[in-house]
Amino acid sequence: MDIDGFLRDPQSRRNFFQRAGVMVGATGGSAMFLAACGNDGTTTPSVVTGPDESDQADVEILNGALDLELMAVAFYKAGAARLRGSVLDIGKLFLEQEQEHADGLAAAIEDVGGTANRPKSSYDFPVLRTQADVLRFAVDLENTAIAAYIDALPKLTQGDLRATASGIITNEAEHVAVLLDTLGSDPVPAAFVTGKAS
Amino acid sequence: MTPRIPVADGDADTAEIAAYERDRRALLRRGFALGGAAIAASSVPLLLTARDAFAKATGDAAILERAITLEQVAVVAYDTALGGDLLSPPALRSARRFRGHEQQHADTLKTALTDLGGVPPAPPTGLADVDKVVKGLGDVKTQAEVVNVLIELELATVAAYHDAQAKLIEARLMQSFATIMANEGQHLVVLRTIVGAKPVPNAFETGTT
Repeated sequence: MDIDGFLRDPQSRRNFFQRAGVMVGATGGSAMFLAACGNDGTTTPSVVTGPDESDQADVEILNGALDLELMAVAFYKAGAARLRGSVLDIGKLFLEQEQEHADGLAAAIEDVGGTANRPKSSYDFPVLRTQADVLRFAVDLENTAIAAYIDALPKLTQGDLRATASGIITNEAEHVAVLLDTLGSDPVPAAFVTGKAS
Repeated sequence: MTPRIPVADGDADTAEIAAYERDRRALLRRGFALGGAAIAASSVPLLLTARDAFAKATGDAAILERAITLEQVAVVAYDTALGGDLLSPPALRSARRFRGHEQQHADTLKTALTDLGGVPPAPPTGLADVDKVVKGLGDVKTQAEVVNVLIELELATVAAYHDAQAKLIEARLMQSFATIMANEGQHLVVLRTIVGAKPVPNAFETGTT
């Protein structure tokens, strides 16, 4: 499916993000991490040994976030082939920052005795033919991550993890602003960044 | 794709905005390529103790009161910036929109506080209240200096919301604070671009420089 069809079709979007470990609500609005969605879409326990009950809950949420960050890393790597010049520099920076998120989440998971999910062997991204296709999909991906993080935020039991998640959410929102601006759109379209269509 | 020039709530000349948008995008891309221009140390205002804005607040109502005050201070700061003659028309337009966002944040937080049975704090009265968060807005002489004060104020606000996440009790407030903090981050992207700084310098936006 090409990017236009993908972005227009809520079912395609839901299916894609669900496979990636994120469930987007029927309205395309609320989202949540699927805690038990392991590598390659198989359902495997995220935690092997160690964490107590609250830690285990955090580990499951963090692994859901990690799945999404790993997908973003894979996307920016794949999308780089379509980017040129200064836009490629943007893509490279965002790739590095998504990797930093993934590394930070993996470290947090392991700190409480959990096992961090690994990247999938492949991701079924829609066909991206042009630089604009990559940017538009990136906006969708970043917004999906924001919505998922905001949904998950109160479910994290540790305050410092919530604070770290808020730092990631804000960074993803900054990515959205840059991507929108590069696409020629208003970089700050609303006073509240929910990751949902405004 | 034809670049869209949003002019819905602005009164600036369209040609000026078009030129500004071109410059802004060129600056943004150059910033990513070159790492951004350093902000002159003399133009960076003194960041006071805004990071501790919620340090002494206990309970959601107290945290909300502090957040409302911070947002109202931001409204006053943007009003001051808008009232001066240092900002270019396109920068004025961004400031006008961001002022509106800060007011929306304050209004939403006031409603949340009222729902908890609290009473919203009195609004700040002027620059003296802004100086309690960031100093220097009364002494600015260039657009860059104005924008750098606004950047420091936005950073202070982001830092406060970041720290509040560990203290809040109510889930919906955690989420509301996150949506506001993310918007302040987007303001930072635009403001940093105006002064030639890196638009997104850190993978974790916590309000630190």
